[in-house]
Amino acid sequence: MAAESDIVIEARDLHVSFTVQKQGIKSIKSFLLSMGFQSPFEKKPVLKGVNLKVKKGECLAVMGRNGCGKSTLLRAVAGIMTPTSGSLEVKGRVAPLMTLGVGFEMELTGRENIELVGTLMGFTKDQLQDSINNIILFSELTDAEIDMQMKRYSSGMISRLAFSIAAANTPDVLIVDEALAVGDLGFREKCAERIKQIKSEGTTIMYVSHHLDEIKNICTRAIFMEEGVVTAEGSVDEICEYYTHHVKPTSTELHG
Amino acid sequence: MSVFKDPSRFTRLVVVLGIKNLKLKYKNSIFGFLWGMFNPIIYLVIFSFVFGNMFSEIDRYPLYVLSGLLLWTLFTTTSVQIIESITRNTGVIKSVSIPNIALPLGGLYSSIVSFLLMLIPFSVMMAIFGMRIGWEILLFVPLVVLFSIFTFGVSLILTAFNVYFRDVQIAWASFMPAIFYATPIAYTPEIIPEKFRIIIQLNPIHHYVSFLRDLIYYNRMPDAFSWLVVVAISVVSMWAGMTIFNKLKGGFISQF
Repeated sequence: MAAESDIVIEARDLHVSFTVQKQGIKSIKSFLLSMGFQSPFEKKPVLKGVNLKVKKGECLAVMGRNGCGKSTLLRAVAGIMTPTSGSLEVKGRVAPLMTLGVGFEMELTGRENIELVGTLMGFTKDQLQDSINNIILFSELTDAEIDMQMKRYSSGMISRLAFSIAAANTPDVLIVDEALAVGDLGFREKCAERIKQIKSEGTTIMYVSHHLDEIKNICTRAIFMEEGVVTAEGSVDEICEYYTHHVKPTSTELHG
Repeated sequence: MSVFKDPSRFTRLVVVLGIKNLKLKYKNSIFGFLWGMFNPIIYLVIFSFVFGNMFSEIDRYPLYVLSGLLLWTLFTTTSVQIIESITRNTGVIKSVSIPNIALPLGGLYSSIVSFLLMLIPFSVMMAIFGMRIGWEILLFVPLVVLFSIFTFGVSLILTAFNVYFRDVQIAWASFMPAIFYATPIAYTPEIIPEKFRIIIQLNPIHHYVSFLRDLIYYNRMPDAFSWLVVVAISVVSMWAGMTIFNKLKGGFISQF
């Protein structure tokens, strides 16, 4: 057993809910009539008591069907969503790689966007100055391209730049949400290499993907989620097996 | 990132977001911020031609109008810039862990920079129309600070509700001309019949405008009561804005 100090992410009975409007104009009317005392919102629970421990340097695969709460779990760990109850402790700087290309302004140049998105991701001015050359180098964009408005970029170029910014610094915790299905084959391999490199520097990783090969290649442990709770936990091979059995049957129903 | 734990990083985030807004606004335009001047000039021309004879008893009528238009321009550009700051950045809210308040603050930053630039043509015009400068002018700075706080508070309320009901943004665009004519910008409060004058008194913008007129039109020190009123309105507006925004921000992510 690892010492307690090695635990980087720990969730105990973690609940996270969405706030959604009650449907229809009636609810707004009753909200206004009650002078704001009757809430027009209701809570829709997404995570319903997740227990989880991730050790330093581990790479945890989070698997499960669409809508089971994988992304919400990652958002909670990244501090983007706040728990409604239970506890969640995360040690160190978290870099979320949720959706590539978020925060880009297409009217601005690639270089301007590095500053914008880098700052959104929490880089200081010095950190940005230090890493801007590496970012441009890793993205494989030419000098002319980097000073071009991003609306002239192809979608592959946008993804390459986005990944390069996100992966420029080695964070304590890296969160990857199906973000790597981008770019051409060469760049995807390069991304996988960079993630392995980040891992080898001691970063803890949480990884969501539906590509079993990718998971087997990168991850060291896996969990399986269903309807907002963790239902299975184990080695990558075990959970991949479990996943295949659990997810396949419904997809064959469609044909049958 | 936390506002209080990391103030320098937070400040830089706000500045970078503000500069982005400015770049986006003027990127593909030739005359840039001068267009912001155009709208007040049109108003000025209309009022001088249409109402100029009607209000011939008002000394230096164009200056009288300009002093009102100055604050009105700050109010509209700021609220319009901020109201969409959350709904235009859904990806950022969903994928990056930043304090949500940074987005409206970035809007405030860019509006204030635009306002400072517009002060140049405004002062030229006001000088042409007979503005006299005395020591009172030094109070212009605290007045603009107080008025920005008031405007920011109002904008925060609009922004937070706009996330849940986009009607807010549409309604605000329709309401603004009504608020404009309900503010004594092109006319003096005295022409309003006594029994309706309470409406003018209840209009917060009026108090800032008449404070500014003391400084640059009547060339006198505003009395203690005027000070009390503008400070009180700013404090209440900011308090209400922060309270409502903080109460509603937890649900923003559920809306995207």
